[in-house]
Amino acid sequence: MAVLEVQGLCKRYPGFLLDNISFSLESGRIMGLIGRNGAGKTTTLKSIFNLVHPDGGKIRIFGLDMPQDEREIKQRIGYAGGAVDYYKKKKLRDISAVTGTFYSGWDDAAYHRYLDAFSLDENKTPSELSEGMRVKFSLTLALSHGAELLILDEPTSGLDPVSRAELLDTFLFLKDRGVSILFSTHITTDLEKCADDITYIAGGKLIDSKPLNAFMSENAQAGHGDSLEDIMVYYEKESLYEKLAD
Amino acid sequence: MKNLLIKELRLASSPLSYIFLVAGLMTMLPGYPILVSAFFICFGIFHSFQFSREANDTLYSVLLPIKKSDFVKAKYMFTCAIQLIGFLICSALTAVRMTALSGAAPYANNALMNATPVFLAFVLLVFSAFNLLFVGGFFKTAYKIGMPFLSFGIAVFILIAAAEALPHIPGLEFLHSPAGEKPGVQFAALAAAAVIYCVVTLLACKKAQRRFEKIDL
Repeated sequence: MAVLEVQGLCKRYPGFLLDNISFSLESGRIMGLIGRNGAGKTTTLKSIFNLVHPDGGKIRIFGLDMPQDEREIKQRIGYAGGAVDYYKKKKLRDISAVTGTFYSGWDDAAYHRYLDAFSLDENKTPSELSEGMRVKFSLTLALSHGAELLILDEPTSGLDPVSRAELLDTFLFLKDRGVSILFSTHITTDLEKCADDITYIAGGKLIDSKPLNAFMSENAQAGHGDSLEDIMVYYEKESLYEKLAD
Repeated sequence: MKNLLIKELRLASSPLSYIFLVAGLMTMLPGYPILVSAFFICFGIFHSFQFSREANDTLYSVLLPIKKSDFVKAKYMFTCAIQLIGFLICSALTAVRMTALSGAAPYANNALMNATPVFLAFVLLVFSAFNLLFVGGFFKTAYKIGMPFLSFGIAVFILIAAAEALPHIPGLEFLHSPAGEKPGVQFAALAAAAVIYCVVTLLACKKAQRRFEKIDL
């Protein structure tokens, strides 16, 4: 069953067009949204969450329409644009206490379980946490209200290798519990470790969206490369040498 | 809505919004343009908007399972709550000046505006200008606060100048009386200002909600 369906998503900015993006994410799977900087990954994720207004296309989450059923959908999903970057001088305890009042499914026991697992101290403020710990707090908030779908915008950017590995472990743990995850990144090695599906956007256009294994084997057979990094470089590398020489 | 108001109080408001309520005490100052007290009360609220902007309150809030329009409504409710407290402080002190202290020399010989129901009417007009120009202007972008506050500042300057000039217009000298002459006229002006405050705030809130819905965050 598809928890997220994006059909023909379009968004026009001056100098940039997100053009006819379509993909779907099945329940209990991890999808990586890849593309180089400025490809349209964040615009896609923000459109899904109704933070920007698409010029065209349809978004359905849990079979409900966004933005018509926005409130009901948001009760069941979590969004994190990387590390927590709000209320940096407020204690985690205060942020979570307020956040919890908005969700009917908020589970205090789960919240404290995740705090312990991530070694987060409620008496600290986000400004006192490292980038990795702030990502974990962001996840803690999303998971404590029983989010069935997590949408994460570059959650591993800026993390050290150990923190990234821990975060990917967390994704696999959540996947085993039926949580679906869509996360954007340009760190391709992260996806090779945990993603089931790949959606690849370049220059605002959809290159491909399919299971990771199929994506890798098709591109390997076509001679585009054996790793995600090689494939991205194949599709997108411009010859700067020639440009600079002109 | 209750949750959003609690969020405003616990996370998004600046302590300066409460501290600047002390400016209501300026109502007691003789020889001073006491309408400035309303400006300072609004200045305190301005700090909460600035504080919440720096704290990324907008993004946090719209990620919650709420309607975007409720976020705007909560900001207006918080603003109105602070203004109501400020208005009550000014009203209580105006009552003291008009009764127990009406004969006090500093007020009897006051060259500037005395605290009367017309003063309170002007307080409400200052608050109306804040809700329309600053809060309404803020929701054009949900980010920029400079120009909206500047336009509010200009409006306040005009209102204070008008309030101070009125008693010098022939026939309106009674507005200067410390005991509040012609109370019928004065309370009618106050009632009219209260209606203006309610209508302007409601319309400004509706327009801000429409503007905020259209913003790409």
